[in-house]
Amino acid sequence: MGTATLGIGGITLTLDGDTSLARALALPGMREFMAVGTEADCIEVRLDRPLALPPYRWLHRFDIADGTAECRFGIDAEGVYHFTFGDSGLLQFDPRQPDTVCLNTIDDPNLLRFAMWTAYAMAGLWRGAVPVHASAVVWRGQAVLCLGESGTGKSTHTHLWTTHFDGAWLLNDDSPIVRLREGRVWAYGSPWSGKSPCFHREGVPVAALIRLEQRPANSIRRLGTIEAFTALHPSCPPALAHDERCTDLMVDFVGGVIGNVPLFRLGCRPDREAAELSRNTIFPET
Amino acid sequence: MRIDSRKKIRHVSGENIILMQADGMADMTQVVAFNESALELYNQLNGREFGDEDVVRAITDTYGVDEATARADAAAWVKSMREQKLILD
Repeated sequence: MGTATLGIGGITLTLDGDTSLARALALPGMREFMAVGTEADCIEVRLDRPLALPPYRWLHRFDIADGTAECRFGIDAEGVYHFTFGDSGLLQFDPRQPDTVCLNTIDDPNLLRFAMWTAYAMAGLWRGAVPVHASAVVWRGQAVLCLGESGTGKSTHTHLWTTHFDGAWLLNDDSPIVRLREGRVWAYGSPWSGKSPCFHREGVPVAALIRLEQRPANSIRRLGTIEAFTALHPSCPPALAHDERCTDLMVDFVGGVIGNVPLFRLGCRPDREAAELSRNTIFPET
Repeated sequence: MRIDSRKKIRHVSGENIILMQADGMADMTQVVAFNESALELYNQLNGREFGDEDVVRAITDTYGVDEATARADAAAWVKSMREQKLILD
């Protein structure tokens, strides 16, 4: 057995395990998050545990993004959550011990990567740190998160920012960690960045979120509370919306975010004018 | 009829909403938002069997409006709740 420490989203993840540990650290981006010090918040991720799946109530089934494996999410009579990944991968999270997530040995790197993300999503939710499906760009020290369904043009839009605006840089291209800390919303880089090898450990205050929709003309408007809620909530880990207790925490999280930063709906073309419209709306002093 | 108690009212930044599970819709959240009077009726009638007359009475007792107004408002509330599948028969 070995151990490693990662710092992700202002949380220290202590990984211990055997073969899965080496595989986890070999995943793209993981080494960039290896930490020396420790944060106040800590999660133990125990890999290679001999887990068994007890009788449980199935809450949701889904395929992971590349469609190669079926996953299931459920809860047992003790209130312990269980995820299955493919034929044999297992994750267990007991909310009575929210500092610990256990996984068995997962050989497939794609499944292990997703299982690690799930471990973070599950334990992170209990401390208000949520991986949000977004492309996050930083400009003048503040982050803008682009939300939207896959294929909507989130990455295209943030790429327009980094191409045309001096000093703009990509924080994360798929799953930044979003947290509320001392009344401010923060976005952090993560090892889960889609196809972009974009692995930054920094945390940056969030200036705004934008829900993107492809449109023949560019337009933007700020959303009220209810629309903002429906714009952000589906970008949070979707499986967890099938459980009441997770939903309670997620609603608190989404409410906290939209209560502290504006959320806009941007109908856009993939052009520079769209990026200028969103930038000039969010940062009117430019 | 009876309010579907499996669906829970949640409070978000001053709004009262119920999340509707949109199975099969990968990237979509639907909510039903309650204004103050719709929420008042929900709270008064939740957890018990009730009929149309109970809704009318809840409105007249709470808001002191005339019966015709209360009947129209009650019918609109029940219709809206049924449309959102928040009432079970």
